[in-house]
Amino acid sequence: MSQGDLLHVVTGDDIGERRRFIGKTLIWGSFAIVVAAFAWCAMARTGYLPWDLANWRPALYAYLLWATCLCIAQVVLHGEQGKRTLFVLPATLFVVAMVIFPLIFALTLAFSNWNLSAFEGPRFNGFDNVRQMWTDPFYWNALKNMVYYTLAILVEYSIAFGLALIQASQIRARKFFRVAFLMPLMLSPVAVSWMVGKSMLEIRFGPISRLARWLGWDRPSFFGDPEIARLTIMIMDAWTFIPFMMIMLLAGLQAIPREVQEAARVDGASGWRSFWEVTFPLMLPVSLTAILIRIIFKLKLADIIINVTSGGPGGATDSVTSFIFREYRDRSNVGYGTLLAIVYLVLIVVAITVFMKAVDRWMNPRY
Amino acid sequence: MKTSVYNYMKRAGKMQRRDVLKGLGAAGTMAAFSGVATGTSVRPAWAASHGSLRADILKIPGVGMGSPTDSDWQKVGEMCLGPIKEVVSEGEFAGVELTFMGLNNQNLHNFLFRGFLKPWEAYTGATINWIDLAQADYNARLQQSIATGTVDFDIIEMGAPFEGDVLGRGMASVMPGWVKDVIDMNDYVGYLQAPVGTWDGKTYRISIDGDCHTFAYRTDYFGEGSVTGRDVPTTWQEINEISLELKGKTDPLTGLDAHGYLDPLKGWGGFGFYFLENRAAAYAKHPSDPAWLFDPDTMKPRVNNPAWVQAIQDVLDLIEADVYPADQINADPGTTAFQQFLAGTGSMLMWWGDVGSNARTSDTSVVGDVVGFGINPASDRVYNAATGEWEDTVNEAPNMAYIGWGVYVMATVDSDSKRQKAAWSAAAHLGGKDLSLWASAYPSGFQPYRNSHFNYDEWEEAGYDRAFIEDYLGSNADSYNHPNAAIEPRIPGIFQYYSVAEDELAKGFAGQYGSAQETADAIAAAWENITDQIGRDQQVALYRASLGL
Repeated sequence: MSQGDLLHVVTGDDIGERRRFIGKTLIWGSFAIVVAAFAWCAMARTGYLPWDLANWRPALYAYLLWATCLCIAQVVLHGEQGKRTLFVLPATLFVVAMVIFPLIFALTLAFSNWNLSAFEGPRFNGFDNVRQMWTDPFYWNALKNMVYYTLAILVEYSIAFGLALIQASQIRARKFFRVAFLMPLMLSPVAVSWMVGKSMLEIRFGPISRLARWLGWDRPSFFGDPEIARLTIMIMDAWTFIPFMMIMLLAGLQAIPREVQEAARVDGASGWRSFWEVTFPLMLPVSLTAILIRIIFKLKLADIIINVTSGGPGGATDSVTSFIFREYRDRSNVGYGTLLAIVYLVLIVVAITVFMKAVDRWMNPRY
Repeated sequence: MKTSVYNYMKRAGKMQRRDVLKGLGAAGTMAAFSGVATGTSVRPAWAASHGSLRADILKIPGVGMGSPTDSDWQKVGEMCLGPIKEVVSEGEFAGVELTFMGLNNQNLHNFLFRGFLKPWEAYTGATINWIDLAQADYNARLQQSIATGTVDFDIIEMGAPFEGDVLGRGMASVMPGWVKDVIDMNDYVGYLQAPVGTWDGKTYRISIDGDCHTFAYRTDYFGEGSVTGRDVPTTWQEINEISLELKGKTDPLTGLDAHGYLDPLKGWGGFGFYFLENRAAAYAKHPSDPAWLFDPDTMKPRVNNPAWVQAIQDVLDLIEADVYPADQINADPGTTAFQQFLAGTGSMLMWWGDVGSNARTSDTSVVGDVVGFGINPASDRVYNAATGEWEDTVNEAPNMAYIGWGVYVMATVDSDSKRQKAAWSAAAHLGGKDLSLWASAYPSGFQPYRNSHFNYDEWEEAGYDRAFIEDYLGSNADSYNHPNAAIEPRIPGIFQYYSVAEDELAKGFAGQYGSAQETADAIAAAWENITDQIGRDQQVALYRASLGL
């Protein structure tokens, strides 16, 4: 035991060889049971053993046994110090169980051929799903669309910043406008799909269509042309989430000390220079946080697309999530759908990591 | 009956006042003698003549007397219990507990079943636990139960398209002979007779519903002096001609642009494919061959044969000619029916029976007085897949889209003869001949599906307007009993095939494929992949079984 620990430990433990042996036996003995249980379940489930095992419950029970033995062994092996470990270890084991097991299960599925309608159940198929993904035009089309959708965040950010600046200034009915601008964020995207996508944009009777006709567009069509359809989806999504960015930016603007801007004005900075040289740089951390969170939201874009266009016309509005939804729900293609989801997750993690590193370099240049 | 039809009749006065009063008098008399209305357990009218029973149940609660409630469902259940009492003795199933999984759409389906089965529970001593599912959750719940082997229900309300998944795996209980007598299966309309509901020659399904697509058209578009100047089309060739001719003309009802046939060009979770099937059935469903989607020996898709390509080409021709309403590429079947046809856009449509009824029911419908019905239009030539040749003969093939709901008993009860008999008697009660008449006539979510349901005299006597009923039901009856009905294959994963076809069609309709043939080939390739993934041998065997081959 280290010297520093003496401050908190009331008794010194004298751990003998016999206790050490019992502790290690507990850990490794129960671990062997876990390994055996997993192996037995896996072999029985894949038909290598004659038993017809309905589920993985024996493996779960073995894990619970091992977790219990591990906790007991901490006290046996380390005495008072082990008791301290018990404050954290059960929670850690629980989290591991909730993350590691599902991850292993998901990875197993991702490399399996499992269509719920197939009588055989899941079958390991190596990299077949990866090869299928590589040649799947629907997936790559959806990924390409996600790039467009993500780039649209720059426009959303500009609008949100503008609105936040207006809200931060001394305008009339400021509180009313703050609530009014937040309203779209309170709506479910499904409601937006129906209220806006299917009602207001309805070709014959929708008020926006009527307005378009009044403005001279003879046959308004919001979802007939691929580019216009994608733009319409972007606008509906932006309408819902611009308030989210706006409220974050507004909070950032209100946190900027007034003295800084007053000093800039005293120094003779114009409105634009004051914004560009003072406000904008000070807002960068908040801006990047808002953009990052918005990217994460955007990458999950699905509900509006599923409800309004089902990915059409011809896949022009499809998102990765809406495509995976179709693979999973409509086609019960669990193995392939899981692989697509995992690949998408990896892509997101890599992209976000690169983005954050780049931002960090930019914000904290190393000279 | 669909709720919408019932509501329409109430509002539009299609229930005759005099008959309602007659019905009330009869119901009152019956109640006084039988005690049904007082809630006492006096045995009801089964002892009386059978015809009288049918007339009597149609007076509960009485047409025009508001929507039925749980007490009405219980009364009907009690009155129709006679056939069950002949095969089950009182208290025979005491202690038996069963679980029923079904839908809760519009507070119907399971809600009615509860009421119908309450007297059955009281009489037999069994109890039923209920699993209520929303329509959207149904497919996923069923598929997961099947795939993970966690069937936690004994009786299920299920659509025929899932028979491949359930019956094909031997998960359902074979119908005992006595049940067939109780429910009078010979009374089913043609297309619900075997092979539907059967698998490898064994019967599993008790039908409680019927479904098919029928042709709805605007009567003001046709006839002498009309905007088309033509008779109602009877073939798909005529439909396309009329759709092209209408370009630039004005709708006689709304004064806006006139349009012809409304094809839904956007997917609808697999259900949208039924609408291409309507066109294709006339070309591809040869009277000498029950198969029309796959080759029954190899599961090779027929979706890229000349018949299907013609159906796709028909749609592409109309897209090319720009005769559809704007944004049709984003119109799913819900849009074509409820936002277009009923709102006065377009003149021809194929849909389930709902459209016919909603035409006169929905507040947003403007076509109620100018709507007519027929069966799926024919083609003036049909493709013979066996010879690979077109035959110049008129071919009709109504599309039995989705086939309809049924009640199935799971094999989980087979190990216990008492439970098995209990489950089958409960299912038989729900699918009884008389009870089904009541379900057809009142809001239940179910359409008529027996020949006896089309006895219009019974409807008229109950207080319904004969002309409306004949109009509403006639096209359904003609489709159901058609000798060349196109019945979808009840193979596992059938909606996977439909779903992926929708994706490829969307690309084809958006011009991303070079031709109809290329689009059809893409669908066929995707179907081959699904067949291989699910298992070709399995699918061949099950497809043949579903066709009764």
